[in-house]
Amino acid sequence: MKNKRFNLLLIAVVTLVALWSLWPTWRDYSLSTQLNSFSSAQDSLKYAMGHREEIDDARKKSLKLGLDLRGGMHLVMEVDQVDLFEQKAWNKDGKFAAILQNVRAKATQSDARVIDLLSVEFRNENIPLSRYFYDIRNSNQEIVTKLEKESEEALIRAKEIIRNRIDQYGVAEPVITTQGSRKIIIELPGVSDENRVRNLLKGTAKLEFRLLREPEEMLRTLDRINTYLAQNTQNGAVAAAALPVSDSSAIAPASLPLVATTPQVPVGKQPSTKPLYDVISVSPYGTAYTAERSKEYVLSLLHRSDIQALLPQDSELLLSAKPEAGKDGEKLYSIYLVRMAPELTGGVITEAKATFGSQSVQPEVMMSMNSEGTSKWARITGANIGKRIAIVLDGSVYSAPVVQSKIPNGNSVINGIGSLEEAKDLEIVLKAGALPAPVRIIEERTVGPSLGADYIRAGMLSLAWSFCAVSIFMLVYYKKAGIAADIALVLNILIVLSVLAGFNASLSLPGIAGIVLTIGMAVDANVLIYERIREELAEGKSVITAVTQGYDRAFSSILDSHVTTLSAAFLLYTYGIGPIQGFAVTLMIGTSASLFTAIVVTREIFHLLLAKNLMSDKSFG
Amino acid sequence: MRIFQKTNFNFIRYRKIAYGFSIILLVAGLVSLAVKGLNYGIDFRGGSEVVIRFEKNADVGQIRSVLDAAGVSGTLKQYGMDRSFLFSTVFQGDTGQLKSLVSNALNDRIKGNAHEIVRIDAVGPSIASDLKWSAVKALLASLFAILLYVGIRFEIKFATAGVIAIFHDILTVLGLFSILGGLFAFMPLEMDQSIIAAFLTIAGYSITDTVVVYDRIRERIRGQKPSEYERIFNESMNQTLSRTIITSGTVLLSVFVLFIFAGPAIRGFAFAVFSGILIGTYSSIFVAAPLVYDWLRITKSSVRLRGSKVS
Repeated sequence: MKNKRFNLLLIAVVTLVALWSLWPTWRDYSLSTQLNSFSSAQDSLKYAMGHREEIDDARKKSLKLGLDLRGGMHLVMEVDQVDLFEQKAWNKDGKFAAILQNVRAKATQSDARVIDLLSVEFRNENIPLSRYFYDIRNSNQEIVTKLEKESEEALIRAKEIIRNRIDQYGVAEPVITTQGSRKIIIELPGVSDENRVRNLLKGTAKLEFRLLREPEEMLRTLDRINTYLAQNTQNGAVAAAALPVSDSSAIAPASLPLVATTPQVPVGKQPSTKPLYDVISVSPYGTAYTAERSKEYVLSLLHRSDIQALLPQDSELLLSAKPEAGKDGEKLYSIYLVRMAPELTGGVITEAKATFGSQSVQPEVMMSMNSEGTSKWARITGANIGKRIAIVLDGSVYSAPVVQSKIPNGNSVINGIGSLEEAKDLEIVLKAGALPAPVRIIEERTVGPSLGADYIRAGMLSLAWSFCAVSIFMLVYYKKAGIAADIALVLNILIVLSVLAGFNASLSLPGIAGIVLTIGMAVDANVLIYERIREELAEGKSVITAVTQGYDRAFSSILDSHVTTLSAAFLLYTYGIGPIQGFAVTLMIGTSASLFTAIVVTREIFHLLLAKNLMSDKSFG
Repeated sequence: MRIFQKTNFNFIRYRKIAYGFSIILLVAGLVSLAVKGLNYGIDFRGGSEVVIRFEKNADVGQIRSVLDAAGVSGTLKQYGMDRSFLFSTVFQGDTGQLKSLVSNALNDRIKGNAHEIVRIDAVGPSIASDLKWSAVKALLASLFAILLYVGIRFEIKFATAGVIAIFHDILTVLGLFSILGGLFAFMPLEMDQSIIAAFLTIAGYSITDTVVVYDRIRERIRGQKPSEYERIFNESMNQTLSRTIITSGTVLLSVFVLFIFAGPAIRGFAFAVFSGILIGTYSSIFVAAPLVYDWLRITKSSVRLRGSKVS
């Protein structure tokens, strides 16, 4: 008797908790219908102001809808660990570059950790890691541990910086998590301008101030490259033309293979005598530029290691970030020869602000530096009056102003920005800081809000129909006992939803599919019990004995079947990602809840009915 | 109401026919898998997909030629029923570019029929191989977990036969996906993450019916002579027949509702679970229990079951 009372109490508590946890969801829903029902915007605003706290509270605690139902963006980004390790290495040489190239190629193919690939590659070459990393006295194992730690830290730092950027951009309820050793998962509900978000996330925001080499030096270098290319094209025209393309796919930013652009590769019938000057023009003032159509090709040239070998010591050729309009309206990108080592990096930037420039309507970003940066900047500018310093962001030159005078206050300006919006985004990324290594988008799923609304409708329809079909079947097949099973079913759905709401999990379309499936599976336990009771009744036992023995004897197969379903769902949750996890979660909650609802709840209902003499052997159909 | 009154089928006697049927199913599936292979979705092969919805009815051929003319190469298919199309192409790092390309082409060339890009998915090749691996791992782990659990609850022969039955179910569904893949416009049956979820659901659920039958056998076989096994197996299966069918029936009902109402994104999943549970019910009667029987018969061993309690 005591036990029975405990069960009743438990059922009451569970029901109340479930309702309590779903209450905000209901409030949220009714408040928003109320808001929408006002005829004028003023009324609805007034109502919203009056009930602000209540609305906010309800929204915060209500059942969240997943990205697919609300519309939004799901991104998986990968931190480029190869790049990170490259940054950590010192006295890099050709051998090192070749090894990294291998590692990079393997890392795109396999799921293995980059650090493992790296150490295997070094072992195969029989080179100790300490030749390039940290201290020469370190053992391989020590270095691997250190690099591992570096990459862990880099991942966490990257996540924080991305979170900063998103917060500054302003997205409600972003979810940012890391997965494994190099992935960051970003969920952004209700984002309307995906393109802008993507650009905001993608850039490393590595800001550098670099000295330009003398113009004559750049022209000599270009001449050298031209001669080299001309010789090479004559030796093997096809091979030379094919090389940059295959090379660029590994290093250059993924170009769009959609449109069949024929890059302006000079693969004429006769090999050109001036292959470089076919794609690059030099102005009388000692500046060089390339047209937009040949930009990709020039970039791929600049990434080639044989071309890089032709550059002066400690130098690099960079393109400008934004094109300038040429005389016939063609878009032209300037080419700069800059020093490899930056004079100053973005780490010293404390504040950034997007504004319009003083003399023009061009947007620009003003930056100020910390005290260390300020003194360095004063020294650098003071020592290089009359020279040009390039402001380089993520490998592209934004501007390369001539230093007029010493700048003592640590101010600097980025100009050459296309729009104010872009300037604002630059402000955000500069404030949030640079990513420790480049990140790449490797998976992206975007659902528009209208499709989300469709999904909700489809999901609700499936839920309603499946509930109707199953509950009517139970009523028809098991008569009075079917009512008990249906009550248990309702409670089961309530529990699933309330657990989701209570733990702040979100409901997605696969999640709804999980609930629909749960509806079908939850009554299984009842079916097993009722069939057993029917059997016991057929043997001529009394209703009370039949019910008791039915529950007892059906229990072991119910337990077995639930455990197997649960373990499969658990593994799905462990190995699956994103949408599939939502399905696994609802299936798990639903299955475990049905152990309670289908066994304890129905049994109590029968006890109550039996006590009141409302059950007969006809009650089980 | 009762669907089955007292039945008395001799399942064990006709088991060889069932074995034959199962083998035909499996071989047909395997042949199709080897010849035709599977229709991988972007989750597993990598790539980009754009779902475009038009305001009015639009002709697939026309849209295809517009996209072709714009230089966007890929395949275009009807998606679901409501004026939606699925355009799939190679993986794009930058889906914004793809979106504007498609959008501009359609705006320029198809007048008077506004479109909306309702979904864009892009999965890089490295993540696709990750997903494939974790799918295989999850599936193997779940089979192993079930083997272990049923092995502990019953005995290893029962567990092995049960896992063989699950294998049989999943392979058959995989075969069905290969045979029927791409045949129906409303149901392309592509292998994606949701199908893996379906397989795990099938694995977890297919054993449910099997366990119900096993449980009855366990209850009745205690202390019986091996010569009685055929009778006990048959009687147990007949006694549990109606609950085996009704438990599966309710789930089939729900999954059928999903198939009809939940839209094209869930349809492949619903199809997989539906056929998997159907086959799972068949296999628990015609594959799992008969295999145990044959095993006991051939090894001439008697059953020593754990966990059976006499009440």
